[in-house]
Amino acid sequence: MSALKRNSLVLIAVLFIFATFAWAGWANFEYRKQAAERLLASVSKGELVQDPAGGTPVYVSPLVGKAAPAFALEDLSGNKVSLGSYKGKAVLVNFWATWCAPCKIETPWLVELRDQYAAQGFEILGISSEGDGVGKDDKAAWEKDKTTIAKSAQQMHMQYPVLIDGDSISDQWGSLDELPMSFFVDRTGKVVAVQMGLTSKADIEGNIKKALGN
Amino acid sequence: MSCLALAVNRNSGFKLAAALTIAFAALLAQGQADSAARSLLNGAAVEYLFPEQVTVTAGKASEVELHFRIAQGMHINSHAPKDEFLIPTTFSIPDGLGVRLERVNYPDGKDFTLPLDPQNKLSVYTEEFVLQARIVAEAGNHLVEAKLRYQACEKSVCLPPKTIPVAIDVIGK
Repeated sequence: MSALKRNSLVLIAVLFIFATFAWAGWANFEYRKQAAERLLASVSKGELVQDPAGGTPVYVSPLVGKAAPAFALEDLSGNKVSLGSYKGKAVLVNFWATWCAPCKIETPWLVELRDQYAAQGFEILGISSEGDGVGKDDKAAWEKDKTTIAKSAQQMHMQYPVLIDGDSISDQWGSLDELPMSFFVDRTGKVVAVQMGLTSKADIEGNIKKALGN
Repeated sequence: MSCLALAVNRNSGFKLAAALTIAFAALLAQGQADSAARSLLNGAAVEYLFPEQVTVTAGKASEVELHFRIAQGMHINSHAPKDEFLIPTTFSIPDGLGVRLERVNYPDGKDFTLPLDPQNKLSVYTEEFVLQARIVAEAGNHLVEAKLRYQACEKSVCLPPKTIPVAIDVIGK
């Protein structure tokens, strides 16, 4: 066997070993990333706790008392909006979807409450979570989603910032398998209350006051 | 005296029966709330019931009734929801499985209103519903994984849209 042939074989073997190591490293990274996401979702996920008085089960979230998870999402005009930029204000982070009938009942209440408390430093971020797994890679589906969300937001007179792709931050906020879901964040960025599902305008107002520190 | 005792006993009996009835109704209502809560947590709102296997004449259109059950306390949109943004229930069979779906007859939805919005009627399926699928199967045994897409809610909460597999063994003879 010539030296050239032997060197080539050695080179191929070395490349193969490197490729195997690279693949193993990548697979390990992906596995750890997925495990971390699962862990994050399970740690942030709330649970329905049976009301001892026999009423409707109550949603209890581990995020209450903790710093609200940071995010930066696009609004309907394509501008990035971050939760961090609202520090100093009380914020209601409201996850909704165009297909969610209870969200449609709740939204007019939110519009009224925002008008009522805006002067005290209150804002709402309406985050659409369509749950259809559509990402920016699928341009046609993304634009279709965006158009539907914009139309729905317009019909409901949502004058507060409407952000899209809530699904991408779902894990940090506890999986968001149920809508509507509202997180009330105080002026320091801490979650002070969480509401799952449609309750009442009075409940929402009570939590807004809590977030404002009234 | 004994008549009085009997009357008192009868009265107590009625009270006991009424108390038991109320307790049973409360347990039933609690059970329904628990069931809806469990469905919310595990996301399993719709279950395919039957048939697991059907035998049809190969190459000829045949009607097959597909039975589904919705978790207690929950509803899904019918095939023709009244609001443009609501997601209709749809059934499909992927191409290339030896079975072609010609048409689906969906049942009419029931009118349903959310307690906090009694004016707005939704068109939904609840409890059990049946789809009539018209299929044409090639000769042979085809393990078909059809799909049912739906979006479920209970009275105050909605779950994201979901597509579940509907496994049917279709024998074309």
